[in-house]
Amino acid sequence: MSAAHGSRRPLQRTSRRTLNFGFDRFSGLYLWALFILVFGIWVPNAFLTTDTLHSVASSQAISAMVALAVLAPLAAGVYDLSVGATANLTAIVVAVLQAHHHSIGTAIAVAIATGVAVGVINGFLVVKLQISSFIATLGMATVLAAVQSIVSGQQQPAPPTASSWLNLTQSTVGGFQVVVVYLVVLAVIFWWVLAHTPAGRYIDAVGANAEAARLSGVSVGKWRWLSLVCSGAISGLAGVLYCSLNGPSLTFGTALLLPAYAAVFLGSTQLKPGRFNVWGTLIAVYVLATGVQGLQFVTGVQWLNDMFNGVALLAAVAFAGWRQRKSLSRRFRRSTGRSDEPDATPTEPDQSPSGAATSQVASR
Amino acid sequence: MPDQTQERPRERAAVPPALAGRSLSKGFAGVLALDAVDLTIEAGEVHALLGENGSGKSTLIKLLSGYHRAEGSTEVHVGGASMTLGSPRSSHALGCRFVHQDLGLVDAATIADNLCLGAGFPLRWGTIRARELRRRARGDLARVGVELDPARLVGELTPAMKTGIAVARALASHGGDPVKLLVLDEPTATLPDDEVNDLLGIVERVAASGVGVLYVTHRIDEVFRIADNVTVLRDGRKVTTRPTASLDRRELINLLVGSEFDETQAASEALAPSAADALLHVETLDAGPVRAASFEVAAGEVVGIAGITGSGRETILGALFGANPREAGTVLVGEQPVPAARPAAAMEVGVAYLPPDRPKLGALMELSARENLSLADLRPFWRRMRLQRRAEASETRAWFDRLSIRPLDGSERRLATFSGGNQQKLLFAKWLRRRPRVFLLDEPTQGVDIAAKRELHRQLLLAAADGAAVVVSSSDIDELAVLCHRVLVLRDGRIVANLTGDRVSVDRIARECLNASGKVIAA
Ligand SMILES: Nc1ncnc2c1ncn2[C@@H]1O[C@H](COP(=O)(O)OP(=O)(O)OP(=O)(O)O)[C@@H](O)[C@H]1O
Ligand SMILES: [Mg+2]
Repeated sequence: MSAAHGSRRPLQRTSRRTLNFGFDRFSGLYLWALFILVFGIWVPNAFLTTDTLHSVASSQAISAMVALAVLAPLAAGVYDLSVGATANLTAIVVAVLQAHHHSIGTAIAVAIATGVAVGVINGFLVVKLQISSFIATLGMATVLAAVQSIVSGQQQPAPPTASSWLNLTQSTVGGFQVVVVYLVVLAVIFWWVLAHTPAGRYIDAVGANAEAARLSGVSVGKWRWLSLVCSGAISGLAGVLYCSLNGPSLTFGTALLLPAYAAVFLGSTQLKPGRFNVWGTLIAVYVLATGVQGLQFVTGVQWLNDMFNGVALLAAVAFAGWRQRKSLSRRFRRSTGRSDEPDATPTEPDQSPSGAATSQVASR
Repeated sequence: MPDQTQERPRERAAVPPALAGRSLSKGFAGVLALDAVDLTIEAGEVHALLGENGSGKSTLIKLLSGYHRAEGSTEVHVGGASMTLGSPRSSHALGCRFVHQDLGLVDAATIADNLCLGAGFPLRWGTIRARELRRRARGDLARVGVELDPARLVGELTPAMKTGIAVARALASHGGDPVKLLVLDEPTATLPDDEVNDLLGIVERVAASGVGVLYVTHRIDEVFRIADNVTVLRDGRKVTTRPTASLDRRELINLLVGSEFDETQAASEALAPSAADALLHVETLDAGPVRAASFEVAAGEVVGIAGITGSGRETILGALFGANPREAGTVLVGEQPVPAARPAAAMEVGVAYLPPDRPKLGALMELSARENLSLADLRPFWRRMRLQRRAEASETRAWFDRLSIRPLDGSERRLATFSGGNQQKLLFAKWLRRRPRVFLLDEPTQGVDIAAKRELHRQLLLAAADGAAVVVSSSDIDELAVLCHRVLVLRDGRIVANLTGDRVSVDRIARECLNASGKVIAA
């Protein structure tokens, strides 16, 4: 028997602790540094330039906004799979209205209102009609694709050319396109709302255990609905900005959806593990983008982006799930103590109403 | 008597012990929650495991089940065979069966499906044989004396019934590996007394069939009724293992608490209900099994609700608050109506409700203790455009002190990492801090140790003295008898007795709960 019967004694920390950095809550930042280091050495002339910095920052700004859009519903425990379709629709709407000689202001207002309306309808389907959010928003995405065809007449609208329209996103601030500034502003607002206001707390509570939240006086329906309206509005905004940045495309929306989810789920393993969070999401977006950019300098093949995002999404979700299950399948665990630290402890499988972020949502 | 093990002499020396655990240890975040505990249970023995909240009982059990991986030199033998630590499969194959504090049932599945989830479904050509499934399910239920339709959904059942299902499931081997060790983690925390008897009967029968039983409880009486030996834990270490026959109640309680403990309760008589007007009015309430319930509760009064499972005891408070639907009737607090099915509106008029099913209805396991505590009222922390986390944390710490929630510095830890009793205390604090005018509590002290229970009772009486109307629904009749000024007894959905004064006694309440005939009275 080895126990020294004094007061509760601290355990010896094993050396595994330091080897564990790969799955630490800052692993994203380490990975980012690693990418920069590797590609900086491999293709220094192309990679280590301010041009690359600026172009990665702005080319990912729209993706990052869409990722923020799905963040709020996910935190409240519902999926919004219509964000890509919404963004695409509003991009077409804003272009078509300008082509019909409406003012830029009107066009933008109508486009964003369209996004809000989509969110309101999504909320109605999910909260009032109680359709599973997965099905409701997937159905909505398909309907929106049809609406987009009607609005555009299946022809790509002429890109608006007014300089004030182009300057909306393309003027630069300290070398960065201004769209990056919009992203930062949006992220700060999101962070404030989700981390520092009662609204954010209620949304987290609804996502963690809706019934317990309801019995604590939180209106589950209201917060789910609001989170969907918010994601509709942000997607709408993202669509408008995309159109200003790249012109109205008929198909860019679908490509936005998966990377957004990859980023949010990856983000939920960062900074505040097990919780969807704003800065973790942004880190994930930019780590992935840095990796893709670097690889493109090296090989230049077309399929990289999709491959990278798909693998990242699977890896993120698998990792978050594994984190929960690891107390059952101990094969991966070699050390003592460490992985039972409060912030890393998996949920017990039999306490299923709440779980780490992924399982909460995945089970709906 | 020295603190040394004096286990019951082995009758069948040839049979290896059901459980031989050596130096069981487990740490969390560098602190040992279980520190080198030895535990031996012979085949056919009922061994009670006692200890205050957070003393490491559930941790020990999760170690045996392979859920946690042990530290250092831990060794476990079951029926003579060595167990692979940290492997649920090995634990199951050696014949260990568990009923955890959180029962681990699937609410959305039927009773029959739940019973077969562990042991496997009866199959023919890969298809589930429905009739055989039901037959087995009925057999499993019969073994624990629960009469329910196996096709019902578990989610519809009361906590008491769910416990029965969980025990039945644990014992259902369906011809697989023989059961050597049955472990029950606070199986009676929310069971009414008559069902406790049934459960104890089952446990005795299981033990008589040669299975070793490890039985965790906070109810001292049960220990003397069924346990052969008792092990007491404190702060993760073993205090002693003793034959139950060598102890009396007082001694055992002192071992548990670690000092002289005076069991006399802060009784409600000390606080005569003020002659104040009725504060809570309930008129002809219909909800689930409850029919035409009418009663009033005055400010300063503590009223108990008693009844067997299915009598409506488990439904009535939830229906008042809006947790579950109300079919008819009005509820008023003072002059203000409490609308049906709208908890937020009920809170607005000063009603608080502590639900019975902690993991499903009460706790937000993934959020921190602080976030759980403050959720029901964030207003005081919303200042200067942000939630003042520091103020939140310091209020949380104050509540940790006040109700001795352990670990004391755990306000940022996820609720899931607290022991069951400490989670319960935290949820109690969550509602107490709103200073409710009407405080409804369903099984308020489930899983809470005796010292903490007395403290919670004291807090309730303080709240009542402050002018709150308190209604406690509990399966624990002793609790109602010490705590309440008045007890309403429900039978078949109707209020059949309104006991006051001397008639608030364990005997009388128990009799009224079971009595088959009795006239309906309006309180
Ligand atoms: N997953 C975990 N992470 C960190 N600490 C934990 C975890 N599980 C339990 N603990 C700590 O270990 C200690 C023992 O907890 P345990 O659940 O075994 O207590 P218990 O004896 O079952 O108490 P109760 O009577 O309240 O159920 C407590 O201090 C608890 O906070
Ligand atoms: Mg416990």
